[in-house]
Amino acid sequence: MKRYLNVLLGVLTAIGGFVDIGDLVTNAQVGARFGLSLVWVVVLGVVGICVFAEMSGRIAAVSGRATFDLVRERLGPRMGFLNLVGSMLVTLLTFIAEIGGVALALQLVSSVNHVLLVPFVAAAVWIVLWRAKFSAIENVLGLLGLTLIGFAVALWQLGPDWGELASTLSPAEKPAAESWATYAFFGVALFGAAMTPYEVFFFSSGGVEERWTRKDIGVMRANVFIGFPLGGLLSVAIAGCATVVLMPQGIAVETLGQVGLPVAVALGKVGLAVVVLGFFAATFGAACETGLSTGYSLAQYFGFQWGKYVRPRDAAGFHVILLVMTVLAAGVLLTGVDPIMVTEISVVFSAVALPLTYFPILVVANDPDYLGEHCNGRFANLLGVGYLMVITVAAVAAIPLIVITSMGQG
Amino acid sequence: MMGAWRTTVVVVCVLAATSGCSLVGQPDVAAWDEQAHQAVTDATSEVATARLAVQTARDERVWSSYTLVLVADAEKAMGTVQDDTSRLQVPPGRDRDAKDLATLLDDAAAAVQDARQHAVEGRYDDPALLDVLDRAEDRLARAGSRW
Repeated sequence: MKRYLNVLLGVLTAIGGFVDIGDLVTNAQVGARFGLSLVWVVVLGVVGICVFAEMSGRIAAVSGRATFDLVRERLGPRMGFLNLVGSMLVTLLTFIAEIGGVALALQLVSSVNHVLLVPFVAAAVWIVLWRAKFSAIENVLGLLGLTLIGFAVALWQLGPDWGELASTLSPAEKPAAESWATYAFFGVALFGAAMTPYEVFFFSSGGVEERWTRKDIGVMRANVFIGFPLGGLLSVAIAGCATVVLMPQGIAVETLGQVGLPVAVALGKVGLAVVVLGFFAATFGAACETGLSTGYSLAQYFGFQWGKYVRPRDAAGFHVILLVMTVLAAGVLLTGVDPIMVTEISVVFSAVALPLTYFPILVVANDPDYLGEHCNGRFANLLGVGYLMVITVAAVAAIPLIVITSMGQG
Repeated sequence: MMGAWRTTVVVVCVLAATSGCSLVGQPDVAAWDEQAHQAVTDATSEVATARLAVQTARDERVWSSYTLVLVADAEKAMGTVQDDTSRLQVPPGRDRDAKDLATLLDDAAAAVQDARQHAVEGRYDDPALLDVLDRAEDRLARAGSRW
């Protein structure tokens, strides 16, 4: 019974923790501009994150060591450093965006300017990272993130013509006013948002924090293969709400308030309150995950003690990194930079960094010295190699698309 | 000695090319039209956001701070659209169009500002407010096909 409850808790937190500021903003932007014609990219991204999260979770469960730890050892310090730099920059950008997202969510209920809220949010994130147990961070914020199901309820309540809505799923239904370059730019951004690198680092390091063993591989797979796709459905619901309410009115999404507006139209104050709680939980949870990921990555690469399963004094370097990164993130936001713009940049550059993140995972997952009989099978390798090709195309296309479309403006 | 000269020439050429030290081109009519169209599209989005925010608040489906943040953000974004447009170099013979565009954006900005003022005061039952926003939206929609 306890095992089933663990599976259920893991799946629920995986659903609630799947969406972050990148998914919220990008899916709403895409829904408002392209309808559902880019949903196939969400599906592609969710399958991709499942493939690589399962590999990194399996590595953690079998070897008892996290991804970065093994990448440096298996591929050498030079490749490890490349991997570290690429993923760290993107994770730091995402951390900044998430802290900004928490401040924006609080602004919606207080009308206090988000810049004034940033120091308090950053302090709260750091206190949680320092004091709270890993399982508490994951479970409480993951479960609260489930309130984003409000988007699915709102979409149902809006009562769209489902047949008509489904007919917009085809890429051929791209609005005529939008160019294919802009369509491709948002496709890459959606893909980057779904496959953002910190998710696998957090997932594998979390496995070590929770002391997964080979016996936990089944539970881990249930979390990944059930939780992540259901989390992906939330992304589609966000895009669907924007398609039904914002697109017909010509509203382009540039603020977090606009993301929640369709829920207010459909469900009123109570529904909106539930979803804004979801904004807070999703961004605060992701801020903790990205913050921890920066600490995990650096500590694992340089080989010093890390993790929340040891006392802070035993992992002093790890906690100093968390503090420095939090101060840095708050400092960037205090310059007045728009968190939504940081989010847009982070999801696109996430796509650029994807090969640096996922190629080493595929290599380690094929090494029998680490994984023994749990090495990748043919199917996992087929998917892994296939996705590496897709990831490489997205990474190569990302920067030219930024230039050609002026960050998706047209 | 020749090597040093060559390096200097290359560095000067690269600096000149990258610092915009080139002939100043005439304003491009097509580019101006494209930017004018983009400005109208962006302004339409802000006015529509303000309208939907006011309508939702009027129906008591959203709390006041949420509405206030929405319309304040829309007002700020309208200001950016106006600023960006005012910096465009107008091509020869398009002065009239540029003036019309500026007037259109001023009216749209005034409508959004009006919505923000009503939101600050918590007054959403003024029927004139929605009329002002509707008129601004209509004018923007008509202008959208002009450029």
